[in-house]
Amino acid sequence: MSLESFYIFSIDLLAIFAVYAIVNLSLNLEFGYGGVPNFGKVLAVGAGAFVVAAVPGRIFASMAGVEGDYIADNLAIISQVNAWLADNVEVGFAVFFLTLGVAAAVGGVLGMATSYPAIRLRGDYLAITLMAFGEGIRIIGNNFVPIAGGTLGVEVPDPLAFLPDGLRFPVATLGLVLIAVAVFVYSEKMVRSPLGRLLRAVRDNEMAAGAVGKDTARVRMKIIIVSAALAAIGGALYSFYVGSTIAFAYDRASWTFWPFLMILIGGLANNRGVLVGTFIFVVVRKLITFFKDSFEGYLPFDVVWLDFLLLGAILLAVLLYRPQGILVEKPTHTIPFLEAGVGPGSAGRLWSPDAPLPDDATRRAKILGVFYR
Amino acid sequence: MQIDPIYSDALIFSSLLALLCIGLTLTYLTTRVPNFAHASFATIGIYMALVASRVWETSPYVAIPIAFAVAGAAALALYTFVLRPLIRKGASFAIQMIATLAFDLILIALLNIFADYIVRTYHVSSREFTLRSYDAQVFDLPMLVVVAPAAIAVLVLVLHTVLKKTKFGIAMRAATENQDLAETVGINVKVVYGVSWVLGGGLAGIAGSLMALWFQGDPNFGPQIIPSVFAASIVGGFSSIYGAIVGGILVGLTEVLGTRFLAGEFGAWIVAYRPLIPLVFIAVTLMLAPRGLAGISWGRLLGRSSA
Repeated sequence: MSLESFYIFSIDLLAIFAVYAIVNLSLNLEFGYGGVPNFGKVLAVGAGAFVVAAVPGRIFASMAGVEGDYIADNLAIISQVNAWLADNVEVGFAVFFLTLGVAAAVGGVLGMATSYPAIRLRGDYLAITLMAFGEGIRIIGNNFVPIAGGTLGVEVPDPLAFLPDGLRFPVATLGLVLIAVAVFVYSEKMVRSPLGRLLRAVRDNEMAAGAVGKDTARVRMKIIIVSAALAAIGGALYSFYVGSTIAFAYDRASWTFWPFLMILIGGLANNRGVLVGTFIFVVVRKLITFFKDSFEGYLPFDVVWLDFLLLGAILLAVLLYRPQGILVEKPTHTIPFLEAGVGPGSAGRLWSPDAPLPDDATRRAKILGVFYR
Repeated sequence: MQIDPIYSDALIFSSLLALLCIGLTLTYLTTRVPNFAHASFATIGIYMALVASRVWETSPYVAIPIAFAVAGAAALALYTFVLRPLIRKGASFAIQMIATLAFDLILIALLNIFADYIVRTYHVSSREFTLRSYDAQVFDLPMLVVVAPAAIAVLVLVLHTVLKKTKFGIAMRAATENQDLAETVGINVKVVYGVSWVLGGGLAGIAGSLMALWFQGDPNFGPQIIPSVFAASIVGGFSSIYGAIVGGILVGLTEVLGTRFLAGEFGAWIVAYRPLIPLVFIAVTLMLAPRGLAGISWGRLLGRSSA
């Protein structure tokens, strides 16, 4: 691999890694911490990409005064818009962030729709229903042309059009990585917050969480909406990065199954693990595509199927032999009972066996004290 | 006698969908996991039919027993090497579903490799192919129009007899109803479940080998049809063979005839939205009657008092 091709390879790898990291972190919030088996993750991701396909191009075209049917003359309009954007950098960025906001809002609304079955159904039926929701978006996107040009797809305006060719992709990648880092920090904060602990409590024992007065339906709904909004941002960024949207790219495998695979390999309910899993997946896939031609002579079939075989086998192996993934979920840090004032002893135990037992009245008062803190 | 081909299409599609649902329900009864790889067992059958008719140049119906055996073996492998160890380790249903997805992925890769192999070795088209011209004709109709519903009828009789009259069938019903209790009376639940999986996968294989005679065959056929299979099974209630048949026929007929009707009313553009029909079925069934048709107390609905 020459230095230059290695450079291009790494830039693209990092960008895809960042996009998948955003989507996977959002799935991890929902499935890892919240226990919602969202087999329709593609719904929110696709919605974000469709917003990018439908919204910013039309805004720019009307601002730049470009005439014509947005879908039919898409290529001509986008090239004129990009030329205009090269001179109107601030407007480009403003509309870019506006679009991300719209994508997040649309994702959130779809998340609200998803939460309707998610707080009523459980288990496999919920998983199948969510899968059905996710399938719907591709079918509609494929056939309802005004959104994303149907089966032909549409080009998307490029807010980075002002950059020279050699800089466009590195800068885009840098931006993606920064946003992914922000999402990572947000997820980490979220799971360490009271909401994060409540999420895990609901996941582990919904009835117990309900019994201590927590609104379990509300917390599930909240996390689904947040997660869908994040995933929509991920989809929108991907669409901006590749510069086009085509509906059939938003299928069950790419945006539901692969994310599940990555978070399970890396470690469920562990954000660092999610990053590790995402990195492994992206590198394996990229390497297979990159060295495709060198494999060609040795394998009696198309190399594309090698990654299906490999990734399927890796996932099965992880599920069977290391179900917790590469990095294990960390236990929640709670105030040790010692500090909480209930008898001497280590965290997680009410009394150490060798400490003298307090009399009943103080014991009761202290236990109640824990609950009333 | 000239019959609108849409009716043969509807009859064949709904019968074969019902056949797929029977298989899925048989496996669901044992492990309670909706198997994503189920429709790819049918793809195995499709390729067996391709091999029988284009490579061996015999009748495609020769493929039926082979499809049953190969798809049954694949299903048994999924149960024995993936699901049973996972269940023993106490994996959640979501993990088990993802495991069936991973298995499906491997299966699809193998089917694609097999398709490549057929093209290279025998120079026979193995993607987006159709075998309609290889079917025999009965009364100016493709034989499949008779065979597909007949297969369901025979199957219902056989399964009913096996499940209700034979020792094995009774053991199987006991094992699916209460595994622990069945074990204490000496039923080998492992064997019983294994046989269910062979049957379930094998039936999907048969459905696939028949589907090859009417629909376009492709290695990625499984993921395309799995929403319909899930929808029909959910409509049927996922709990009984008869529910599976009713669900399969209902969803199948709605997909074919409903699309035709809507296209007549609103225009041909609506045909492209046909894949939404099973999704609507899933949503409506789960919201209104989560236990499917089999779970509705029909007696009460008809005004009779139910016990």
